[in-house]
Amino acid sequence: MNLFGVMDISASALQAERVRAEVTASNMANAETTRTAEGGPYRRQQVVFQTQGQETNFGSSLMAHLGSNTIGGVEIAGVQDDAKAPVMRFDPGHPDANANGYVAYPDIDPLTEMVDLMSAQRSYGMNASAVQAEKNMITSSLDILK
Amino acid sequence: MSDALVRYLDLASTQMKLTASNIANADTPGYRTQGFSFEEQMRQAMSGSASGAFSPEVQDVDGLVARTDGNNVSLEREGLEMAKSQLTFRTGVDLLRHEYSRMTDAIKSDGK
Repeated sequence: MNLFGVMDISASALQAERVRAEVTASNMANAETTRTAEGGPYRRQQVVFQTQGQETNFGSSLMAHLGSNTIGGVEIAGVQDDAKAPVMRFDPGHPDANANGYVAYPDIDPLTEMVDLMSAQRSYGMNASAVQAEKNMITSSLDILK
Repeated sequence: MSDALVRYLDLASTQMKLTASNIANADTPGYRTQGFSFEEQMRQAMSGSASGAFSPEVQDVDGLVARTDGNNVSLEREGLEMAKSQLTFRTGVDLLRHEYSRMTDAIKSDGK
């Protein structure tokens, strides 16, 4: 059993949680964005996590059959657009207002985003302490040589 | 003795790996907590005569409450497991060092 491999697992989680925090920050930053490159208001982004090693290449299939692929880290399956319809707010003076004076704003709830951000932060912290624990274990196994 | 300790350390680091994996997947929808019984696997490792690579039987952990997304990772449980496997590992390392120092003492015991 390779202890450095354990650190890779925690590292994958640190990376995934950081992306989640970034996406949440981006959602909050764009809560009032009415114009995007694709046209229309900003769409809320959501990160989807999956267990690492789910791709069906030969190597991982073989390992799965040998029963040794049960331990893995986490990876991001994708960043998806939220399908929720934009919120129409009456603001006739706005440059992006439609004929009836309504502006399409992204449907972003600061509460949801904050909860998501806190959850990502907690998970990040937890994984960081796992890295600390792994470092201690590696250091202590090096002590055998002393 | 040192053979048994190697198994013990192997199991401790596998447990750490599982815990790290469980914590890493704490937000993955549908993920089930993985684990094994340390005592049970240690007993099996000691009774089995086969030497070499030993991989414990990993299975889903029962009795955990799943969230609505199907994930049942409990961070409290994993935090505890992490501390436990760290101490287990430390114990194994210290015992192994003790074993080696006894051997060195035996070699040195000719008075030199």
